[in-house]
Amino acid sequence: MLLMAAILIPLVSAVLIALAPEARAKTIALLGTLTQLVVACYAATVFDWSFSSRAQLGMSLAWFEGLGVNLSLGADGVSMVLILLTGLLGPVCVLASSTAITTRVRTYYAWLVVLQAAMAGVFAARDVILFYICFEFTLIPMFILISLWGSTNRRRAAIKFFLFTFTGSVVALAGLVYVTWFNATLDRASVPAVILSQHELLGTWTFDVSTLITAGQLMSAGEQAWVLLALMAGFAVKVPLFPVHTWLPLAHTEAPTAGSVILAGVLLKLGTYAIYRFALPMVPEAVATYAPHLSMLCVVGIIYGGLICWVQTDVKKLVAYSSVAHLGFCMLGMFALNNTGITGSILYMVNHGLSTGALFLLIGMIYERYHTRDMNQLGGLAAKMPVWATFMVFFTMASVGLPGLNGFVSEFLCLLGAFQASSSWGSGAWGSDIEPVAAATPGALGPWFAMIAGTGMIIAAMYLLYMVGKVVWGPLKTPHGHSAGHAEHSGHGASHGSGGHGTEDEHAHGLPTDLSGREIATLVPLAVLCVVLGVYPKPLMQAVQGSVDQTVAVVRTPLRSQGATPAPARHAPQPTNPAKTHGEGAQ
Amino acid sequence: MSLMAVLAQAGSPAPMAASTLAHYLLVSALLLVIGLIGFVTRRNLIIMFLCTELMFQAAGLAAVAFGRYHLNLTGQTLVIFILTVAAAEAAMALALVVLLFRRKESLNAEEWQDLKG
Amino acid sequence: MLNLIQDTIVHAEPQTLGAASQGAGHAHGQTDWSVAAIVALPLLACVLTGLCAALRVKSKLPAWLTVASLAGAFALTAKTFAAHFMGAESHAFVVHVFDWVTFSWAADVHAQGPQTNELVANFAFYLDSLSALWMLFVTGLATLIALYASEYMSHDQGPGYCRFFAAFSLFVFSMACLVMADNLLLLYLGWEGVGLCSYLLIGYFYKKPSAVAAAKKAFIINRIGDLFLAMGVMLIFVQFGTVEYSVLFEKAKPYIELARAGNFAQIPFVVKLIPCLLMGGAFGKSAQLPLYVWLPDAMEGPTPVSALIHAATMVTAGVFLIARTYPLFLLSEVALPAVAWVGALTALLSATIGMAQFDIKRIMAYSTVSQLGYMFCGLAVLSPSGGVFHVVTHAFFKALLFLCCGAVMHGFAGQLDLRKLSGVMKMPGWRVVGFGMLIGCLNLAGFPLTAGYFSKDMILAEAFVTPGTAVIGWILLLTAGLTAYYTFRVFFRVFVGPVAYEMGDEHHGADHGHDHEHGHGQGHGHAKDHGGGDGGHHQPHAPGWAINTVLATLAVLSLAATGLYFVGGDHGAVARLVDQSSAGFHSPLAHHESGAGQAPDHGAAAGAGRASGHAVVSYVPEFVRARAHQGEVHAGTFFGADPHKAMYFVSAGVGAVGIFVAFWLHLAGRKTAAASRADALLPALGPLPGWAQGKWYVDEFYDFLVRKPLWVLSHILYLIDSYLVDGLVDFVGAAPKAAGKVIRPSQSGELHGYALGMAGGAVILIVIVALVAT
Repeated sequence: MLLMAAILIPLVSAVLIALAPEARAKTIALLGTLTQLVVACYAATVFDWSFSSRAQLGMSLAWFEGLGVNLSLGADGVSMVLILLTGLLGPVCVLASSTAITTRVRTYYAWLVVLQAAMAGVFAARDVILFYICFEFTLIPMFILISLWGSTNRRRAAIKFFLFTFTGSVVALAGLVYVTWFNATLDRASVPAVILSQHELLGTWTFDVSTLITAGQLMSAGEQAWVLLALMAGFAVKVPLFPVHTWLPLAHTEAPTAGSVILAGVLLKLGTYAIYRFALPMVPEAVATYAPHLSMLCVVGIIYGGLICWVQTDVKKLVAYSSVAHLGFCMLGMFALNNTGITGSILYMVNHGLSTGALFLLIGMIYERYHTRDMNQLGGLAAKMPVWATFMVFFTMASVGLPGLNGFVSEFLCLLGAFQASSSWGSGAWGSDIEPVAAATPGALGPWFAMIAGTGMIIAAMYLLYMVGKVVWGPLKTPHGHSAGHAEHSGHGASHGSGGHGTEDEHAHGLPTDLSGREIATLVPLAVLCVVLGVYPKPLMQAVQGSVDQTVAVVRTPLRSQGATPAPARHAPQPTNPAKTHGEGAQ
Repeated sequence: MSLMAVLAQAGSPAPMAASTLAHYLLVSALLLVIGLIGFVTRRNLIIMFLCTELMFQAAGLAAVAFGRYHLNLTGQTLVIFILTVAAAEAAMALALVVLLFRRKESLNAEEWQDLKG
Repeated sequence: MLNLIQDTIVHAEPQTLGAASQGAGHAHGQTDWSVAAIVALPLLACVLTGLCAALRVKSKLPAWLTVASLAGAFALTAKTFAAHFMGAESHAFVVHVFDWVTFSWAADVHAQGPQTNELVANFAFYLDSLSALWMLFVTGLATLIALYASEYMSHDQGPGYCRFFAAFSLFVFSMACLVMADNLLLLYLGWEGVGLCSYLLIGYFYKKPSAVAAAKKAFIINRIGDLFLAMGVMLIFVQFGTVEYSVLFEKAKPYIELARAGNFAQIPFVVKLIPCLLMGGAFGKSAQLPLYVWLPDAMEGPTPVSALIHAATMVTAGVFLIARTYPLFLLSEVALPAVAWVGALTALLSATIGMAQFDIKRIMAYSTVSQLGYMFCGLAVLSPSGGVFHVVTHAFFKALLFLCCGAVMHGFAGQLDLRKLSGVMKMPGWRVVGFGMLIGCLNLAGFPLTAGYFSKDMILAEAFVTPGTAVIGWILLLTAGLTAYYTFRVFFRVFVGPVAYEMGDEHHGADHGHDHEHGHGQGHGHAKDHGGGDGGHHQPHAPGWAINTVLATLAVLSLAATGLYFVGGDHGAVARLVDQSSAGFHSPLAHHESGAGQAPDHGAAAGAGRASGHAVVSYVPEFVRARAHQGEVHAGTFFGADPHKAMYFVSAGVGAVGIFVAFWLHLAGRKTAAASRADALLPALGPLPGWAQGKWYVDEFYDFLVRKPLWVLSHILYLIDSYLVDGLVDFVGAAPKAAGKVIRPSQSGELHGYALGMAGGAVILIVIVALVAT
């Protein structure tokens, strides 16, 4: 019920916002998102973290009975963590919008909270159709947020964002439906009884996530590869991985601040989460086979995205491209297919949401004041806005991956995961007769991947310090007409407005030179979490460990059987090792 | 040819002595064709609308005939629906026609080609 | 050495104050909070000064908070040191504070062989004689320099002052983590933490573009080194399944046995790779070739920062890393020679650059790079105690030198050009500074009986003793001469000679034109001197009590450091402390020399080892053995003499020559500040002085070779991204549109056409159905 509440509360508040007067919209949205956060926190306390691999707090209502579609919810450790992240960013985004959004306020907040509901739904869904509906439904509010409250090029950005991710997701749906069909046509007699006893729905028409995950593992290698391709077509766009990332910089740059925060904070994680939830356990053999190829995309993304960041002049675009590089690390850890890597990857989801989200908030604050994001027009703001500058440097360092802050733990674990994941450890130059290599895991990545991806750490320092050096440090430089403060404000506002909408000039009124209390309040929780997760990440690591263990076990078993016997031609449905494929069996 | 054969077969287990199902269907088809021809050949919006009504009634007649033939109420139920919808539609359509007329002072359908690609 | 390592490790177990954490989720025993407080106090100071910034404190409160907490940290360190490491025997112990990146996962049931299924990297502190020694001088110097800075930075009271001391305290915290870490990951935290503080403090005068650029450069080049360190840590984890020193050294034991036996062929490549990767990290942080270029630029920061971070403590972190992981460096036959060569070449190269600079702070910076080269050589020529001893003495005298330069800079409105200053010592109120400078210079030049003399000699002598490294010895000897020359060049030009000076300009007024904050002159980063701003009619002002006290203290300390050589064991207290730590290393020649019954005056033989009753283990790395005759180790000689004795005289002689040349060229007969006899000599040297002054154009070379190509590549990538990758997407989007254009004319817009189409379609359908039905 708690998960249902976490989804319904924003929906209800959206209705209330739509009914309430314009002036109340913000308050209701804030209350709604706060309530969602409280519910999520309460759910986290009820959650039994010692069994974090299990889907808990579950509920299931028949929805379209004939179709096997149920309204079933449940969260394991990873979902729970991401629901908390979603809940946290909700009030932050509402607070961040309070002066930036002055037109169609009701519509704005209504869609913002609807988006919250949809995102929570993605993480809580235990039914493929429900998952997919929520996954796709996030597009609509985001589309509206970008196309109505974005900056100059907002329509193009919104359309591109929508069509690009939507096209991918449709293919992913096809993949999921194929697995459903495969499961429905599965001959129950051919499935070992052990598995059947745990998954009664095997061989029936169902969209139950854990059943489909088990069914997926029974597919032949060829089928798995195709399903993986389909899933990645949808989820990799969302992440985004290297060649399918181009919607992201555009959408980020044009979106309103809160939109960018949610986009970076949670929406991108929908892709990584979906890969973790579906691609890894559902088609483990294919994942193991193609992990090096996918990892190569990650590595290319890390370096390519990073270098592109370095030559940006639009500070928001820079941070947007940095997401491409950062998510490359995240996915690299995921495709390492070992505990360190996947744990790091999940931590990365949270940490990237916090630090990059905060960077977008900070850039939004500058944009509200100076109506520009051009680094050639902004400079040395430390002199004028010391508090802002402090936060900026802080979150930049978190993003760079400075140890002691959150980014480091996840980045290090992702790289370490990739470093370990090589089957050539222990043989030839990489082995030893004297003592076995202690912490190597099977895989096909290895030190080279980690080393090349590791240069991304240097590149990250290059572009983020370039940004900080331009915007925060240096001689004070503000756009023409802004340097003397608010007295001249109205006179010059129009000359450099983005041209997006004429109301912008009014926004800056009432904003102090440095950050206001409200703005600090939006940043402090993120900053505190950055420190806490950097200094004491243990609870988080333990929270997801059960789930990760299970996924790793599922992925690794076919991986090993492949290594032992040269993969036989398989015909679906052919069960794999019965003892090992019941990954989700505990539920 | 084959259509006629179907219609002829349909007549065989006739509960209706005087007129078989085929007769009704024939009338229905005639109505439909007349409506269609009217719709295609005339340019006056009101006439065209009346022609669509004609085609509607053709479908309704066929439905009633089949209903009687199968001795159930489905066909008649459907006709009630058709009539209701047709009434609602007539109200809408005529209102639209009036509005369109106001725009161009003409009832000629060829005046409206905005969807030309 | 092995025994010693075992000794320290094995004895650590019962001595551990907190429970040594071997795995996650232990019940931890009582933690020694005084050790934790050494780390916590600077952090507390950082938080408090940050609070001061938030409360807009305009007094010197932040400075006093910092000084007090650093002094507290120093006192606690001293207490710990006295309690555990003063005796002939000392034992490492671990203080566990809390778990950090510590987690375990389900063991892989199918794995062959033992599998590590946990990563343990805690906030835990590993105290042995080495880390205690390091902390002693880090906290001690930090306290003194914070006191100095309280006066030096006083023009900036307000937010800048708070910012300075917050970063300063954070630096000490990071350094403490680096030094006392019980695992490599926590070391890495400190490692990058000090990098961050260095970044923040170099960029302290953030309105100066050069300072911002220097800060950025420092951080990025350090990051290159950090990548190697990170890779090294990962490799260690994969290979040994741990990053904790205590476990790591235990796990490395079989390999150390092999190395001892000279069976390098049996040591796998991966294991040999570990020291090579760690080395990369050390070179970055300690500004060695090829990554040294950031350190001279780092002088953009306030001078106390240069003294503490960029001379005394942070830059020696690389030395610490190698000393800490010394057992691993013995596993590869190429690692230590590589370190030696890099150190020697860096020492020489930067000394040549230092000779040609005019900015006295930069000269000191290059001398730091050069001296760091010495330290690396010391480690690599199998004299870790010499290297560490040099770290300690260098910390004191180089801090002293920098602070003296800082006092000059402070008093003369930022003037640092040695052609514009002369006879400073003769001016009223500058006596302490002058004498401090003299003592520092004597130490740096290796003047006999100073601390620098002994520490440098230990390295030099060992370079000649260790077979195969004599060339390095000669390079170092040459560098010693150059060092003496450039050091006293500064002294003779700036501090003695005729009194003449020109005040610095410190950019006054220049930046104000487009700067809209005239009302906040004090707040300006570049207004370092509060007297400035209105032209050059102001007078130099002599340093106040805080600066003088600190200078005097440091001068005394750097002289007193000599005493370390004479107390507490054969080769001084430092040698003993080093020998008791993981860097504890018995000279390969100990056996040879003691067998030969020579004077006990040799390198780093372990008196402590003997004192604690262990047999002296001689370990001879392969690269040494290979160069020695027939597998038997012979000490190198210096023209037939014992290098340890010979060096006392040779290096003193070389130093004296350097000092004399400096005297002849820069003091004798000099009438003005600007010109000296050296100017006449320069044309004879051709383009060399110009190149040296241009720093051999290494920066330009890097810029051309690395930065520019990357920059171009990035632009190309951006174009590719915008037009090719995104273009492809747009193409996919445009394709349906184009297809639509082709078939669009079929939409006539005529209602009748559509109707006919529908009718036709219906007819076709009916026909099909009919055909199928029959």
